[in-house]
Amino acid sequence: MTTNANLQQTPEQTTTAADRARGDTPKAADTRTPLIEMQAVDKHFGNVVALSNISLKVYAGEVMCLLGDNGAGKSTLIKTLSGVHAPTHGELLLEGNPANFTSPGQALDAGIATVFQDLAMIPLMSITRNFFMGREPTKGFGPFKYVDWEFADRVAREEMAKIGIDVRDPSQPVGTLSGGERQCVAIARAVYFGAKVLILDEPTSALGVKQASKVLRYIAQARNRGLGVIFITHNVHHAYPIGDAFTLLKRGTSLGSWRKEDITREEVLNMMAGGEEMASLDAELAEFQRTDSASVA
Amino acid sequence: MYKVEPLATSPNSHRRMPRLRRAIASLTTALLAVSVANAAWAAETERYVMITHGQNSDPFWSVVKRGADDAAEELGVEVEYRAPSTFDMAKMAQLLDAAVASKPDGLIISLTDADALGKGIKNAVDQQIPVITINSGGDKSKEVGAQLHIGQSEYEAGRGAAERMVESGAKHGLCINQEQGNVGLDARCAGFIKGFDGSASELATSTDPTEIKNSLVAYLNQHSEVDAILALGPLGSEPMLKAMQEAGATQKFQLGTFDLSPDILAAIQSGEMNFAIDQQQYLQGYLPVVFMHQYHIHGLMPAGDVATGPGFVTAENAGQVIELSEQGIR
Amino acid sequence: MTDHTISAVPAADDERLRRVHPLKAALKRPEFGAIAGTILVFAFFSVAASGTGMFSLAGILNFLEVSAQLGILAIAASLLMIGGEFDLSLGSMIGFAGILIAIPAVQYGWPLWLAITFAFACAVLIGWINGYLVMRTGLPSFIVTLGFLFILRGLAIGLTRLTTGRTQVSGLQEIADHDWLAPFFSGEVFTGLFSWMAAQGWIATNFAGNPSVTGVPVSIVWWIVLAAAATWLLLYTRFGNWIFACGGDVNAARNVGVPVMKVKILLFIFTAVAATIFACLQVMDTGSADTTRGLLKELEAIIAVVIGGALLTGGYGSAVGAVFGALIFGTVQMGIFYTGVNTDWFKVFLGAMLLIAVLFNNYVRKKALEAK
Repeated sequence: MTTNANLQQTPEQTTTAADRARGDTPKAADTRTPLIEMQAVDKHFGNVVALSNISLKVYAGEVMCLLGDNGAGKSTLIKTLSGVHAPTHGELLLEGNPANFTSPGQALDAGIATVFQDLAMIPLMSITRNFFMGREPTKGFGPFKYVDWEFADRVAREEMAKIGIDVRDPSQPVGTLSGGERQCVAIARAVYFGAKVLILDEPTSALGVKQASKVLRYIAQARNRGLGVIFITHNVHHAYPIGDAFTLLKRGTSLGSWRKEDITREEVLNMMAGGEEMASLDAELAEFQRTDSASVA
Repeated sequence: MYKVEPLATSPNSHRRMPRLRRAIASLTTALLAVSVANAAWAAETERYVMITHGQNSDPFWSVVKRGADDAAEELGVEVEYRAPSTFDMAKMAQLLDAAVASKPDGLIISLTDADALGKGIKNAVDQQIPVITINSGGDKSKEVGAQLHIGQSEYEAGRGAAERMVESGAKHGLCINQEQGNVGLDARCAGFIKGFDGSASELATSTDPTEIKNSLVAYLNQHSEVDAILALGPLGSEPMLKAMQEAGATQKFQLGTFDLSPDILAAIQSGEMNFAIDQQQYLQGYLPVVFMHQYHIHGLMPAGDVATGPGFVTAENAGQVIELSEQGIR
Repeated sequence: MTDHTISAVPAADDERLRRVHPLKAALKRPEFGAIAGTILVFAFFSVAASGTGMFSLAGILNFLEVSAQLGILAIAASLLMIGGEFDLSLGSMIGFAGILIAIPAVQYGWPLWLAITFAFACAVLIGWINGYLVMRTGLPSFIVTLGFLFILRGLAIGLTRLTTGRTQVSGLQEIADHDWLAPFFSGEVFTGLFSWMAAQGWIATNFAGNPSVTGVPVSIVWWIVLAAAATWLLLYTRFGNWIFACGGDVNAARNVGVPVMKVKILLFIFTAVAATIFACLQVMDTGSADTTRGLLKELEAIIAVVIGGALLTGGYGSAVGAVFGALIFGTVQMGIFYTGVNTDWFKVFLGAMLLIAVLFNNYVRKKALEAK
């Protein structure tokens, strides 16, 4: 795991997690260039503000966990990163250079691969055909160009073997694989085709414990190869063991970013559950009660 | 227009919606004005509606429509041609009801099914709309209250074709029916089989030319006794002719067909086909419009039904017919 | 990040792969059920029509020609259905394409090759419009092409009545005799071989006493060539993989960069072109074009594709399956004339046989998939 010593300087031990949030202000001492960076990104749909002032950084060889409840703006954020939406304000930097993607294809070409939770694989098609979908290796020339399935089968089998999934027959339909294995095929595909940044949309949320750990193990593998991973989830138990950094989203805004060593699992959990929000809710409820009794009187 | 008045001034009804009431009133006024104008215009131009079961794509009916169009142009009247897009009696009955509701000066209809259409026609007659039936249903025409029938008896025409073939020495006939369930076509086949004294059969096919051709070949390979074939229209006769040409058998069979097309006429002229039965259906479109017009202006109408066919087209008169056929008149 | 070099594969993997028996692999192909259904249909007729000449050379070519013409449509429809779309305007396109050939050639005296090329160009345009509308509006192709079912049929009738005053245009026979492009769509092939065989007395005579077979109808050649090309396309090209991807899951396909719009529009174009090939074959064969041609062919093509093992929901199927689906359809359709069943019962017989073939096909496919 590559962690940066500069980021470990926590000024005070007694502050709350929120106080320690680094947000987007880079430490002067941090010399690394993030693989991908969002600077104060806003996304509006008409007069709906879907994202507001989001900043985050993902470094090579690190897993950035993006945590948030439903409606926190996770999917809008993914779509902005993967080129489906252009940001209304703010900028997207790829290895330090401004990047303006107008289509998912451009993002893909730039090495940003997105693996969607349920839209990654086509169950009726074989593993190989899924693996190489859209990027089939061809042989021959002109009108006699054909897909080299032999090569493709071999690669698919090998890549799957590398992540510990034993595929007996790569021409078997993806539908015969378990949910976790399907996610792994999708990730392996992205890795094989040279992704630098991997965006994983809830890869573990529909999986059982065993399947999920399989996927998490593979995410760790991808990180160790030097990829930057953005891992979107609402499950802290999946995120905490593997994350190097955490960003919490709430209603389109960022609650802050933390290095792993700056925050404990409990603190993350508490913020996810909205500890402070809960406190204010309590107060609000009390207020309601008061006004109610007042009106009765 | 004064009919509108009570509505507009009634103080109690629709108390809370004077604007809507006013809107309804003015709309009704406008509608009345339009219909009055319409009536005035209709008094100048006679309007007849022709409803047939023939889809516009049927070569036969395109000639009928041509006859009606020509008559309309010559007489300066208006003829609306309406037909269901498939052979569908229920739809035809709906077209009929719609036509009656539009109050034409006369109704011309092919009476394919007296049960389905009889009620609608009687309804028209009750409303003083004169009706002429054409093409099919000659036996039911008077029953439903039509003034006149113009057409040919399908049954008799089929029998006539068979008798002509028997005279020339045919022993066993085959009738190709590409639209089983069509009363007219079924009657032709029935008459044909009767004309052979029962020594004939019916071959039901689809309307696809390749399927007609190949099923005919398959059938003939199975039934060597057949020596005379009748097709019920160009849809059936062209594949029949093709099958005979491919097998080199045009001289081994007596070949006849209903209706005409340039290819059929060419085949008759060259002797590949023996005859075609023509209903002279141009007249089935032309005459009813003329009669309607006469009835409208002078109250004149022929007393007896008009038989436009069967007319036989053979090698002798084919040449003359070809010319007319090219103009879409025969 | 990986490079594309291949690391050493454990030998055990390869060995295990070979253990999948080729027969078992064949069982899992979508067309397997259709082939089984075909065998059932042939078995039925070899009993019900034994000694009738249905399986003589002439009889075989007879039902093959009907199957071939439907097969040409079914192959194109199968690609489109695997790609997740329908084309209900297929049948009307046949009628319209026939008119597009006949009117310029007969009424305006165009050379036939030019008229045929014109019809194909129009087919490409109509296919493109169909595809573009479906993709752009996001409406189900069922609805969009249903619109074109009426529009094209209506255009065929309207244009023909406008220019000729009739609904049938004949007189193409003589024109076709002197054209260089016409032989691709008319007549027979291998006629030399067959006349030699007839001279040897190997070919039976027909009802008229002439050799029953003089050649193989050209439509059968089209059928085989298109089937081979479509199979190659589906199984061995990138485009083929994209077709499966589009039909399987449009979003997944789009996410990995498959040009979905392009793929689907091309499939619609191919369907329209196949309809035009069908139209050419019939126009050359009958020497006339008729506005009613191709009535209900869209349904027959879809039936053939489904018998062939494709899913109505897309993403699964094969061109070979469509070939066998069409073969079942054509065989049953012509077979009734050999069984001696009164043709009044034609449609009952056809429907019942098709239902039995599909049920059997379904049963066999389930068994085959269980047997893995």
